[in-house]
Amino acid sequence: MTQISNPKIAFAYLRPACVLLTREPTVTNVETLGGQLRELDDATLQQLQEYVLFPLRFILKLPAGSQHRERLVQSVVEAMTHVLETTCVRSWETLRDLLSELCLCLSSPADPGRPAPGVSEELKGAVLRCLSALLHAAYGDTLLRLYEPAMLPGLGAAISLLLALGEQERSREVQLAALRVVQTLGVQCDCSRGEEEHVTLGEQEQWAVGNAMASFLPGITVALTRVVTGDPRHGHAVTVSAVKVWYRTVALVMDDAQLRVIVPGETGPAGLGRVGELVVLRSPDWVKGTAGRLGVLLKRLLSCTVAHLHWRVRLETVELADHLLAHCSGSLGGECMGPLLEALVGAVNDEEPRVRKRCEAALREASERGRGGASASHATFADVLSENLHGLATSLPRVLRAADDHKKLSVLNVFLGYLKLLGPLIDRLLTSAAHLQRISKALMQVLELDVRDVRIVEERSSSSAAMRTACGSVSEDPLAGHAQRKYFLYFRDEKILSVLMEICRMLGYYGNTYLLVDHFLDLYRESSVYRKQAAMVLNETIKGAAGVGVAMWEYTSERNWNLTTVIQDHELNSNIWQLCIQLEGVACGALTLGRAFRPLLMTSLYAVLDKAGDEALLVSQAALACACGVAGACGYTSLRHLIADNSDYLLNDVSLNLHRLPQNPQAPRVLSVVLAHSDPSLLPLVGDIVQDVLLALDLSYDHTAALFCSVLHSLMKALVRWFPPSLDNPERPPSGRGESSGAEPEDMTALDVRQFLLDYSRQKELAEVAPAEEEEEEEEEGPDLKKELPAHIIITKEVLDIVELCVCILREREDELLPMVHNCWPALLRRLTDDDPLAVLRGFQVLCTLGEACGDFLRSRVSKEVLPRLGSSLTRQAPVSARAGLVYTHTLAYKLQLAVLQGLGALCLRLQLGEADLDAVCDACLPYLSCRQPINLQEACLSVFRHLIQVDPDAFWLTLSQLHCPSPYAPPHPHLQPLQLGRTGLTRDQYTHNLDRLLRDAFGSLVPRPPGLLGDG
Amino acid sequence: MSRPSPTPIYTLRGAAAPLNTLHFSCQEGSQPLLFSGSGKGSVHVWNLDSRRAERVLDGHSGSSVIWVSTLQSTGALLSQGRDMRVCLWDLSEGRAEVSDSLWTGSVGFCQCSSLETGQGAWLLACPGEQTEEIKIIAFPSKKVMCSLLPDAKLGMVMCLRLWQPDAGPGPLLLAGYEDGSLLLWDVSQRRALSRASSTCPEPLMCLAFDPQRMRGVSGSSDNNLRPWALDENRNLQLQDPVALVNPGVSQLCIRGDGKLLASAGWDHRVRVFGWKRLRPLAVLQHHTDMVLGVAFSDHRDPRRRLLAAASKDQRISLWSIYNEGPDTG
Repeated sequence: MTQISNPKIAFAYLRPACVLLTREPTVTNVETLGGQLRELDDATLQQLQEYVLFPLRFILKLPAGSQHRERLVQSVVEAMTHVLETTCVRSWETLRDLLSELCLCLSSPADPGRPAPGVSEELKGAVLRCLSALLHAAYGDTLLRLYEPAMLPGLGAAISLLLALGEQERSREVQLAALRVVQTLGVQCDCSRGEEEHVTLGEQEQWAVGNAMASFLPGITVALTRVVTGDPRHGHAVTVSAVKVWYRTVALVMDDAQLRVIVPGETGPAGLGRVGELVVLRSPDWVKGTAGRLGVLLKRLLSCTVAHLHWRVRLETVELADHLLAHCSGSLGGECMGPLLEALVGAVNDEEPRVRKRCEAALREASERGRGGASASHATFADVLSENLHGLATSLPRVLRAADDHKKLSVLNVFLGYLKLLGPLIDRLLTSAAHLQRISKALMQVLELDVRDVRIVEERSSSSAAMRTACGSVSEDPLAGHAQRKYFLYFRDEKILSVLMEICRMLGYYGNTYLLVDHFLDLYRESSVYRKQAAMVLNETIKGAAGVGVAMWEYTSERNWNLTTVIQDHELNSNIWQLCIQLEGVACGALTLGRAFRPLLMTSLYAVLDKAGDEALLVSQAALACACGVAGACGYTSLRHLIADNSDYLLNDVSLNLHRLPQNPQAPRVLSVVLAHSDPSLLPLVGDIVQDVLLALDLSYDHTAALFCSVLHSLMKALVRWFPPSLDNPERPPSGRGESSGAEPEDMTALDVRQFLLDYSRQKELAEVAPAEEEEEEEEEGPDLKKELPAHIIITKEVLDIVELCVCILREREDELLPMVHNCWPALLRRLTDDDPLAVLRGFQVLCTLGEACGDFLRSRVSKEVLPRLGSSLTRQAPVSARAGLVYTHTLAYKLQLAVLQGLGALCLRLQLGEADLDAVCDACLPYLSCRQPINLQEACLSVFRHLIQVDPDAFWLTLSQLHCPSPYAPPHPHLQPLQLGRTGLTRDQYTHNLDRLLRDAFGSLVPRPPGLLGDG
Repeated sequence: MSRPSPTPIYTLRGAAAPLNTLHFSCQEGSQPLLFSGSGKGSVHVWNLDSRRAERVLDGHSGSSVIWVSTLQSTGALLSQGRDMRVCLWDLSEGRAEVSDSLWTGSVGFCQCSSLETGQGAWLLACPGEQTEEIKIIAFPSKKVMCSLLPDAKLGMVMCLRLWQPDAGPGPLLLAGYEDGSLLLWDVSQRRALSRASSTCPEPLMCLAFDPQRMRGVSGSSDNNLRPWALDENRNLQLQDPVALVNPGVSQLCIRGDGKLLASAGWDHRVRVFGWKRLRPLAVLQHHTDMVLGVAFSDHRDPRRRLLAAASKDQRISLWSIYNEGPDTG
C-alpha cells in the first residue's frame, strides 16, 4: 500500500473525516479517521498534525455523560497515539494541553491527582500509551518547558495520577505502563525505541529536570516504596519497574554532579505566587534532610528486595545499589550508603549466576571508586564500609541466636563481603580498638560450642596402645583428614561454619597478624568462656596468614598454647574440645610455617605426643591427627620419622616431666614411644634419660612401677634391636676380653648397658622385693583385689622380661654380666621359690636364659637353692597330673610343669651339674615318663633325659636300664658275673614305652648293651 | 607466696662427659652459639636455635678442656686443655681446625683470661710452668710480654682475670692464689698493686669482676662468697662475706648488665644473686652432680639472654630467668 506523501492530497483526503468527526463524534468516525491516518506517510502527517489532532482533542473536551463515551475516548486516544508515535511535537502549547487533557481522561473530576473510579483497563492502557507517545514525541526544548516552575502543579498532578495508577491498579499492564510513564517524565526512559527517540540533555538541562523532579521526589519515592513493599502478588515485573523508577529518580535528583553546580544564594524565581511554594531549592540542608528520609525508605525497600524470591528483582536491586553508589554516593551520605553496600555485598553469593556476575562487577567498581577516587570519597567509602561492618558485628550474635539458618547465612555472607571489599583496608580498620573489639566479640559469641554432648567424656581411648599402633602404621597416615565435627550452640549448618572460618581467614590474610594474634590471645587468657572460640579463630587466622610472611611471633604464641595445653585438666567436655581445638591449632601453625616450624617442634612436639596418650578418645585422636599433620608440614615422611628426628627434644621434655610425674603422667609413655621409634644414634642420650627414669621410679614407686617397667622394657627392646646379639659371628671372642678390640658401637653398648644395669640392679631389687612384701599385705586385704590380675604380678613379669633382655644383650660381656647376675640372684630366687606360679614360670624361663648365658657360674647356686625346690615341686605335682583329665592342661600348674621340664634338661647340660644333682633331677623327672601323664609332659620329660644322657651317658644308661630292660644281657665272658638289672623281662608297665624310646634313641640299638662296653667290643 | 621452683627451658645432653666450662657467643648476624668444654677433651658447639650440638671439636687429645672463649674481633675460638695447651680454632666458613696453639706448661686447673687489644691482637694471661707464675702473652706474635711472680709464697695460681681499665696505661690482672689471697697486678709495670689476703685459708677457686663498678667477688671451697672492691688508689678492699648453705663454688659469673651474679655450686645447685647487694634471688636445682661452670648469654635481645650451667652430670641446663622474657615456668 503506497502512502500519501503529498500534503495537499492528504489534507483533501482527511478533511471530510475530520469535519464529520467534529459534527458527529462517534466511534465509527474516529476509527475511520484513524484508518485514514495510517495511509499518510510520516512527513505528511507531521505537517497535518495540528489539524488532525484538533477534532480528536475536541472530542476529549466534550462533556462527559454520553453513553459510549468511554469507548469513544479510547478510540480517540488510540488515534492520537498513532499520530504522536509517528510525529514530533514542536509546540509547547500542544504538549501542555495534550498532557493535561490526557490526564483528565483518567483523573477524577474533583481531584486531578486521583484516578477516576470506574475507568476501564483498556482506556487506562490506551491513555498511558498515548502519554508515553506524547512524551517521546516532544522536542527537547519543548519538553524542557514542562519542568519550568510554572508547570509544577500540572506536572505534579500528572505524576500523582500515574503513581496512584501504578500503585492501586489491578491490571499488571496498566501498572507497568503507568510506572514507565513516570520514568519517562523523569527523562529516564530506557524503552526500546533507541537513542534518537530520547531527548539527550545537557548539564544545564539535566539540572533543570532534576530541580523540578526534586519537588516530587518524596511523593515518587514513598509511593514506589509502597509498591515494592506492598502486595507481592502483583508480580515481579512491577516490582522491578518500581525499583528502577525509584533509583532513576533518586539518581536524577540527588546526582552528585548536579548538586555540585548549585549556585549558592540562588532563590526560587519570584512572582510565582503559590506555585513558588512548590519549588524546591536543592541546598545542602535540603539534601541532607532528603538523604535521611531516603535512607529510611531505602531500608524498607531493600528489606523486601534483597532476599526477593525472583532473581530479576535481586538483579534490579544490585543495579539500584550500583547506580546510586555511582551517582549519589556523596549526596546520599552514610545512612544510605550503608544499606546499599550491604545489599551489594549480600548478593555476592547469590544463587543466580547472573546476579552474582553483575554484583561482582558492581563491587569491583565500587571498591575501585572507593580506593582510587578522591581522598575525600575514599575516606567516606572506607568509613561507610567499616561503619557497616561495625553495625553488622554488633547485630551478628543477635541474628545468629534468633534467625533461621538461611538468614544467618546471608548475614554472614554480607559480613564476609565487607571484608573482601575492604581488602587491604582491613588492616587499618583493625587498628581501631572499637572495631577489633566488636568483631572479635561477635566471633566469640557466634562460635560458642555446644559441649553438652555426654559421649565425648565417656569415649575413652586405650591410651598408650592407641598411640603405639598409630605410630607404627603412620606410613599410610591413618588419621589424615580426620577432623572432629564440632557442634555449635547457635547453628548446625556446615555452610555457616565454613563462612565463619573464611571470615577468620580473611582477617588473617589482610589484617596485621601480630595484632590479631595478640588480641585473640588476650581474649584467650581473659576468660575461659572465650578460650575455645579464641583458639578456633586463631587457628583460622593463622591459616589465612599462610600467604603472608609469618615471623617469629608464632614462637611465643605457640609456647603459650602448649603450656596451657599441658596444664589443662580433663574433667569437662569443654576442656576436651579446648584441647582438640588447640591441637588443630598446632597443626595449622605447622601448615602455615612449613619447615620453618621445625624449631618450634622442640616445644610443641612433646605436648602433642603427650596428648596422644590422653584418656579421652577425642583428644588422643586429635593429637594423632595433629602429629601426622605436623610431620607432613615439616617435611617428614612419616610420624616415625618425625619422632626419630626430634627425639632429643622429646627426651628433654620427658626428662623434665619425669620430675613432675604427678602432673605429667604421660611422660613415661612418650618415652616408650620415642624409644620404640628411634635408632642407635639416640644412645648418648639414653643413659642420661635412664637415670631420670630410675630416679623418678624411686621417688614414686607405689603408683608408677608398672608404667616404668614398661618404659624399661621398651628400652631393653630398643637396645636389643639396635645391637642384635652376634651369636652367629664365629670371629667374635667369646668373653669380655674382646671389649678393647671391639667395634665402636659395641663398646658403646657395653658401657651404656653396664651403666644402665648398675642402676638397674638396684632398681630391680626394689621391684622384686617390694612387691613381694606388698603381695602379702594385699592378699590379706580381701577378695576384691582378685578380680584383675594383681598389679604386682604384672610388674614382676615385666621385670623378669627386662632381665631376660638384659641378659641377651650382655651375654657376650661376661665381665659385666656376671656381677649383674650376682646382684640379681636373690631377687630371682624369690620369684622361683615362694611366689605365684605365674611368676615362677617366668622366673624359670629367665633362669634358663641365664643358664644359657652364664654357664657354670650359676652351678652351685642352682644346685643348692633351686633344684631341690623344683624337684620337690615336680615330684609333688606328678601324681596330680597323672590323674588329671584334659582340663588340667589349661591350668597354671600344668604350664609350670611343662616349662620346667622343657627347660631343665638344657639347664643341667649348660651348668654342668654334678652327679648328685643329676640324680635328683632324674628322680624328680622319672614319674613323668609314665604314659599316664599328659603327652606333652612326657615329651618334655624325654627331652630332659636326652640332655641328661648327653651329660653322663653311662650313668643314665644304667639308671634307665635298671628301670626297664627289654632283654637280659648275657655276659660276654663266663668269668664275668651276669648283669643284675632291676626289672628284666617282658613285664610292661606305665614307664616301659618311654623308657624303650629313650634307650633306643639314645643308645642306638634295640639290643641293649652298656655303652661303656661298646668300645671294648 | 613463693613461686614454684623454676625448671630449665632446655637441657643439652649427649656430651657423654663431665662439662667443665661454658662460653656464649650470640653475635649479631650469626646463630647464637654456646661452647662447652668437656672432661674428655671435646669442645661442643651448641646451636641455641636448634638446641643441638652443631659440631664437636677434639683438639686436646682427650685431656679435659677447662676453659673456652671466643675473640670478638675475629670470631676465633680459644680452648685451654689440661694437656697444657691453649688452642686457637678457626671456625669461619664451616672450618674446624686449630690455627694456632700455645704450650703453657701449667698442670693446674687455672683458667686463662684473654683481653683483646685491637683487631686480631690480644693478650692472654695464663698460668706458667712454675706453680705461682702467670705469663702474659701477646698474640698473634705469641711473644711473652711478662711473667708475674708474687714476692710472697702464695701457692698455686687458681684463677685469673685480665682487664683494661678506662684510665691508666696498661691492662690490670686479678689473680687468686691457693692460699686464698687475691692480687691485683699491673701488667705493664709488672708489679703487684694490691693484695687482699683473705682470712680464709681455703684456696680461691674462682673470681668474677665487674669493671664498671670496680667490684668483684671470689669463691672458694668453703661456704662463703667474698665480695671486694677496688678503690681509687687501686687497693683491694674486702667486704662482708655472704654465707652459702653448702660449701664449694666452682665458678662465678656476673651478667653483662651488672644486675645478676650466678654461682656454680658443688652442691649441684646454681645460685642467683642480685649483684648490687648480693641478695640471694634463686636457687636453681636441676643437676645431679657438681655444677662446674655458669655463663650468661650476651644476646642482644635481653629476652633471649639465657643462663647456662654445666655440670659433672654431663648436662648443660639452660635457664631463662630474670630477663623480662616470657615466663617459661
